[in-house]
Amino acid sequence: VSERAGWTNILRDWRGWAIAWATGSIGLLTWLLWDARAWIAAAPEASFRATSLNTWPASVLWWFLAPAILWMQTRRWLLDRRWPWALLLHGLMAVLVTGLFLGVDALRLLASNHLPWSFLPVVIHDLRAVDRWSYTPVLLYFLVVLALYAAGFYREWRAGQQLTGELRLANARLETRLVRASLDALKMQLHPHFLFNTLNSITSLIRNNRSREAEDVVAGLGELLRRALEHRQEAMETLELELEFLRRYFEIERIRFQDRLEIEYEIDPACLQAKVPCLLLQPLAENAMKHGISRDASARLLRITARRERERLVLSVYNDGPALPRDELIEGPGIGVQNTRARLHMLYGDDARFELRDQPPRGVLARLTLPFHPANPP
Amino acid sequence: MTTTSRVHWWTALALSGAVGLMLVLFFGPRRGLPVLSRPAADENVLRVAFMQDLSLDPQQRSFPLPVKNQLTLSLWEPLVECDPETGQPQPAAAESWYWSADRLTLTLKLRADGRWTNGDPVTAQDFVRAWRRLLKQEPQYATVLFPLKNAEAFNAGRVTDPASVGMEAVDDLTLRLTLATVRSTLVTELADPLLVPLHVTTPAVLAQKAFVVHPEQMITNGAFTLARAGVEGFRLGVSPYFHDRSGVRLAGVRFVRVDNLRVARMLLAAGRVDLMAPIPDWLPSPLPTDRPVSEAVEMALTVTTMDLNTTRPPLGDLRVRRALSLALDRAAAIPENERSRLVPAFAWVPDMPGRPGLKVLHEDATEARRLLAEAGYPGGQGFPVLSLPVSVAWRNEPYLRVYIDTWYRVLGVRTYPAVVTSDERHRRLLSGDYDVFYNGLQATVPDAGDMLGSFALPLMYNASRWESPEVRRLLAEADTTTGTERLARLEQTERLVLEALPTVPTMFEQRRTLLAAEIDGWYADPLGRQSFRRLAIRSAGARDNGGPRL
Repeated sequence: VSERAGWTNILRDWRGWAIAWATGSIGLLTWLLWDARAWIAAAPEASFRATSLNTWPASVLWWFLAPAILWMQTRRWLLDRRWPWALLLHGLMAVLVTGLFLGVDALRLLASNHLPWSFLPVVIHDLRAVDRWSYTPVLLYFLVVLALYAAGFYREWRAGQQLTGELRLANARLETRLVRASLDALKMQLHPHFLFNTLNSITSLIRNNRSREAEDVVAGLGELLRRALEHRQEAMETLELELEFLRRYFEIERIRFQDRLEIEYEIDPACLQAKVPCLLLQPLAENAMKHGISRDASARLLRITARRERERLVLSVYNDGPALPRDELIEGPGIGVQNTRARLHMLYGDDARFELRDQPPRGVLARLTLPFHPANPP
Repeated sequence: MTTTSRVHWWTALALSGAVGLMLVLFFGPRRGLPVLSRPAADENVLRVAFMQDLSLDPQQRSFPLPVKNQLTLSLWEPLVECDPETGQPQPAAAESWYWSADRLTLTLKLRADGRWTNGDPVTAQDFVRAWRRLLKQEPQYATVLFPLKNAEAFNAGRVTDPASVGMEAVDDLTLRLTLATVRSTLVTELADPLLVPLHVTTPAVLAQKAFVVHPEQMITNGAFTLARAGVEGFRLGVSPYFHDRSGVRLAGVRFVRVDNLRVARMLLAAGRVDLMAPIPDWLPSPLPTDRPVSEAVEMALTVTTMDLNTTRPPLGDLRVRRALSLALDRAAAIPENERSRLVPAFAWVPDMPGRPGLKVLHEDATEARRLLAEAGYPGGQGFPVLSLPVSVAWRNEPYLRVYIDTWYRVLGVRTYPAVVTSDERHRRLLSGDYDVFYNGLQATVPDAGDMLGSFALPLMYNASRWESPEVRRLLAEADTTTGTERLARLEQTERLVLEALPTVPTMFEQRRTLLAAEIDGWYADPLGRQSFRRLAIRSAGARDNGGPRL
């Protein structure tokens, strides 16, 4: 790839072309002059008629004219708001080019027939009067100019297209950064929420002289925070890691709730490698603990399920605690649920769904439906 | 693309200046330019402009033919040449000749002082050798020898022994020609440049183009010898061995290669050449200099015709044929740009040296209509559509369109120009499947008998398919007579033909030559075979007397 890019750069470098053109021009001129050396030296038997200067087609002039036209067209006479100027100058150039071809023809006739210089206007006039002047150079000139303009417009169109693409990409990247920043901000909100609860639990353990358990909670909390910080810069992680995180979390919560807390996992193994937003389930589990298990002494079950339904990943967090309070149904959910909704919307738009509802005869179910994205796509 | 102009004022100024300079150059002075003085090397040298690929091989033709003829006849001398005044054969390489009693054998005595440019004597064997080479060429060239016995068969490969062809070198100075049939114009035909002798070395020199490096190796027997040959043309000097060396007034001849007729005209005006031909109508005039030049006009031995198939019912009627001839407006049919080359033909044979052309035919639309009505076709009613096969190359001939239109407009006679291939046209000619045949005839000798002889050809070669015993008798008599008696027989023949009008002559052709005023001795030759040894360059003093200025 790099070799090809190197050649492309060489081909795009005008200096390479200029050197090639100059080399060709020098070679051509050298050959023409060498071939006509006897005539130039005025040798007695030499004849201009037989030299390549006379016999070569006049179209070889285009070799010398083409770079000049290219230079002028690209550097000087761009079609702009003063396009009449450009047209006028191109018209003058067309006249000059045509005159040059006619002049060369006339000079050849003059030299090959040993006519004096004073006959040049006559020769040119006769070329016009009898053969009609050849206007092919005019047509060729304008064709070349039109081709150059077309190429220029095409280049600019391509550049515009490329710029548009780059802008779109930059915009997308910016948006992604914005989302990531928002996620980070949300996570920053999650961590204190959990942290305060845990610290409260530790405080409670210490007050109750359960220092040994408090130590375990502190150790578990440390492990959780370490993992949370490890994942701060990652928006997604596998469900397996998320569940591992939850287990750590529940180990801490189990200290609070002693044997009353019963955790069930119904996890489809096929879902373990599915990608989910990091710390997605923890706020829901925390809500289940806070608003379900802890509000009713008879409540003890918290069930985490994960299954795949076609191209969707369905996650749920169920607790057998009391039904949702009326004010929460009317005024909207708490901060944990709001954050979850916001994160899902940012990440998946309308492709994700979040439901929080009572599960009669008792319990509350939080259900998440996301696109199924395997960590290692086939 | 920028949105601001980048055209600098100095760019526009430079461009405008260049265009202005170019316009000044293009529309600069084109009159009153100076005439270049004649270089010392060209003093008394005739300089002739030519445009075609001019081969030195005398047995090859290139067009325009006059300059090719003039080059060949400058370097080589044929057996006879035609008198500029009378067109009659005069001694050249042959000093005399005589016919056998049955006029089937011609014996020519070569001049004893005939010499090649290397001093070798010119012998009869040199002619036999050259002509045998010519007989191996394409028929279009070899045809000039076909009057000789077995010549056509040898050219076609039916005869392989060259000795059986009717030409024999009896001795060094005696050449005997045996004819297949009587042909009174044979002696005149021997003036053809194709029939010049060749030195024994010449075929090899021509084949190897050795003359380019060693022009002296091109050994010729004419008044001039090759001094230089190259892309610029040919330079000839006077041959030191020419038998009439003292009669040659030029110091040499230069054939100057030019790119085209316009350049030739400029070279003539500038004083670089002294002669150019032909002059087409489109050549611009006047000249850019004040050099005195003149224009010489000579009739070519060519006639264009509308041959009427006299074996078809309507055209078998003499009144119909006359009506068709009378209805034409020959002058109007000639396009504006051809009027200096083509002239209306009111006879079969154009003007030629020693024989002014007749003016027998005339044009009269009223008389034409009367004759057609008298023949039973008033206003063209009941007249069948005439079929005229035209080859693809001639489909747009302006003359034809005018003739066809005139016949319809004046007589109500319609003509269908059937565009066919050349082969198909030839097939129709041989089978007689046509009413009118657009045709032409070009003579190869300056003799009216050559053109009139077409009416004695077998029917398959005679597009009008008209036969007249009287014409055959008169032509046979002319073949056995000479001088004014012969001319009288030929005039009788022509009048008879024009009376019967099996073919309607429409146009003659003339050639124009542009000459510097200092050329002296120029003469008209209907076949463009001027011999340059007859010409001279007038001295500077004589030149100052001036001449016509174009």
